Amino acid sequence: MAEEEKKQGADAWDATQWHVVEKGETLSKISKKYYGDPNLYMKIFEANKDVLKNPDLIKIGQKLRIP
Amino acid sequence: MTAKRFWLPILLVVFGLFVVSCGSGNKEAATAAMKAAQDSWNAAKGEVVKYIPDQAKGVDDAIKGAKENFDKGNFDAALETAKVIPDRVKALAAAASAKKAELAKSWEEMSGGLPKMLEAIKSRLDILSQSKKLPANLDKAKLEGAKGGYEEAAKMWEDAKAAFAGGNLTDALAKGKTVKEKAAAVMTALGMEVPAAAAPAPAPAAAPKG
Repeated sequence: MAEEEKKQGADAWDATQWHVVEKGETLSKISKKYYGDPNLYMKIFEANKDVLKNPDLIKIGQKLRIP
Repeated sequence: MTAKRFWLPILLVVFGLFVVSCGSGNKEAATAAMKAAQDSWNAAKGEVVKYIPDQAKGVDDAIKGAKENFDKGNFDAALETAKVIPDRVKALAAAASAKKAELAKSWEEMSGGLPKMLEAIKSRLDILSQSKKLPANLDKAKLEGAKGGYEEAAKMWEDAKAAFAGGNLTDALAKGKTVKEKAAAVMTALGMEVPAAAAPAPAPAAAPKG
């Protein structure tokens, strides 16, 4: 119970920024949206290496961290 | 008649001694009660003043009142006032301890969460600094403002940690609260999502008309 409360408390402070991939999006497009520069897409790829193997292969509905 | 003359002064002396003796007993009891009150207050005052300062004055006033009565020779009144002070101090010490625990819990949460916010902001600012063009929701002035806000928040967070290390939990939390507000403002300016724990409280709903 206490552990659960602790977890909830910690989650409330979670500052991770997320983006859910929509149809037609690429990492470059997402990079442009958040950074203004599509060439910074590797920043997003690096932050999501646990779920992305290739920067050109992202899936609709995938939840990506935006550093 | 002679016997009356003989016994009257003796009775008066005995009565006087009785009165003095009773007064002396009350004086001793009042002295002991005042010492107990002062000792209990001396032991607890530091924490009470630190964590529930608004309630400390009541005890100071009670001790002062007991002393004033004592100095006027009103030992019964001094005793009555002083003898209840230790229990009152005990209750205040418990309240101060509870407040301290509550503040410590808030600090624990804050010190776990605020660095995450600052880290997220720094990461975004670092990337935006490398960007050749800013995103639609951001212009150069806004970005510079966010950088300044971040620097202030990061510096104040160091101050908050120093206050905590120095034992000043109240000051540490006050600074932490300012950091939280600044960090939330910077995140909003950068178009970032503010964590739930740092999001500003929603404005109260307007009262229905009519």
